[in-house]
Amino acid sequence: MTIRDRLKPLALLTPAIALEVGLFFVPLAMLGIVSFTSRDSFFFTPEWTTKNYESLFSVFSFDFQVTFGLVIVAAFLDLLLGFPFTYIMTRKIRKYSDVFRAVMLVPLFGELYIAYGFYYLFLPGGPLYFILDILEIPALKAMYSVQTAVIALAVYTFPFAVYNIGISLQGIDPAIEESARCLGAGWFRTFWKVTLPMCLPGLLGAWLVGIGWGLGAFAIPVMMGGAMISQRFLSVEVYSLALLQLDLGTASAIGIVLALVAVTIFYFSLKASRGALI
Amino acid sequence: MKPKDTERIGQFVSYGYVLAVSVFLLVPFMVTVIRSVTYSLPDGTTTVGLKPYFDIMGSFWPKVYLSLSIAVTTIMIDTAVGIPAAYALVRYAFPGKRALYTLLNGVWYVPGICYALSLILAYYFLYKWALGYWGFIAAYSAGFLLLMLMTCIVAFKYVDPCYEESASCLGAGRLTTFFKVTMPLIGPGVSAGILLIFVLSFNEFITALLLNLPTKLMTAPVRVFAEITRARATPYIAAEAAVLQLISLAVVVVYLKIVGTKYLRGVVLV
Repeated sequence: MTIRDRLKPLALLTPAIALEVGLFFVPLAMLGIVSFTSRDSFFFTPEWTTKNYESLFSVFSFDFQVTFGLVIVAAFLDLLLGFPFTYIMTRKIRKYSDVFRAVMLVPLFGELYIAYGFYYLFLPGGPLYFILDILEIPALKAMYSVQTAVIALAVYTFPFAVYNIGISLQGIDPAIEESARCLGAGWFRTFWKVTLPMCLPGLLGAWLVGIGWGLGAFAIPVMMGGAMISQRFLSVEVYSLALLQLDLGTASAIGIVLALVAVTIFYFSLKASRGALI
Repeated sequence: MKPKDTERIGQFVSYGYVLAVSVFLLVPFMVTVIRSVTYSLPDGTTTVGLKPYFDIMGSFWPKVYLSLSIAVTTIMIDTAVGIPAAYALVRYAFPGKRALYTLLNGVWYVPGICYALSLILAYYFLYKWALGYWGFIAAYSAGFLLLMLMTCIVAFKYVDPCYEESASCLGAGRLTTFFKVTMPLIGPGVSAGILLIFVLSFNEFITALLLNLPTKLMTAPVRVFAEITRARATPYIAAEAAVLQLISLAVVVVYLKIVGTKYLRGVVLV
């Protein structure tokens, strides 16, 4: 192989590498540098400090608990709803399956619309108002509840979880399930003893991917979670600290930790669900 | 009970469950559309009509054009950058390929708010030229490149290299082979990337929200968010949200009608 042949893939990849280095890695490195400066001092004379990171364990530890609690439960709801859904989609139905697949694209339009839809749904005078009235649940309490925020987050992350479960289910050789059936196992036993254990890594991957995407949510916690979540959810906290309080140092420190956690979660998710393409 | 009946019941339950979950996923979209056509008259009665859509025409459509323009330019850049990169990743073996692919994907796995904040800092200190329209383009091109990469990788994997080899053997040069053989074969895959980038960049709002302050450019989703936080659930805000979703839905439906879901499977669909 000549040097020219060796350089060919590099030449083809250079624009993509330049784009990502220039607009992702360099800005991320800046975020890392700013996270070691006090408040907005980076704009003037940088005052170097590690207090921003120290404050994450004291002042912001509750924010981490709130955020992770919410996204972990939402991702678990994704598994509960998503596993039967994906199992049926990959094993049971053929007709209209493309229509159901297409529906999976709608939550990708963005969490803003999901938040707005759920907000209106629970609003006094909204479509669910009569049901809430019969159940004697105050509409405003339902609208700004943790449960509603969890449901909205679960809708947002559902397609990503389903995708990961699907990869795992499609990776199981149908011959293995058929063998179990031939050896006398019923449908449920085959599912319980063969299918489910084999796709457990995929389920773990789907759960992690749900958590990872949930961490990036912004509109749902702002609009649905009530006073606690709308102020304590980490992505909202980053926005508030950086743009409203001009505490860029702390906002950057939270941003760096959030990014590291999300990347680690996605790494293990991809490992578990064999999501890598090449 | 006969096995045939059991199977029929099983099918019924399966379709029922999948349908119920699908409806559940569509609920936010459906209630937004319903709200957008339901409004109160001055005498207090509620009526159904398209008045909220006409009310938003003057002020909202320029934002929609801005979002469309940003989405289309992003698509063009990501297509030009993503196809050669995907080709190199699929057709060539070289050390560090997997690590490089992971690095190119990195941006996808970082929460939007972290990416947006890091960009704002970089724009202020390093890329002052980006504090405007091109800042959005740059942010989205880097942020959504992965979608083009993934769909093109899937598309290149579908194409048997023997077609390209045959063209070369018959005397076609590299560029002719690429444009006359490879490109038509990967076209549907590229279109899947275009679809996903359009849907996500057209509706993206976290990066746009942060870029809104220094650039003074307000995209349509940021306008919807700003209006929601200001005036909450009025019909004209629902109309704005519905317009954006209907445009996205129309693009998705047209795409699925022409190409189907084949090239989206293995990327975002099972």
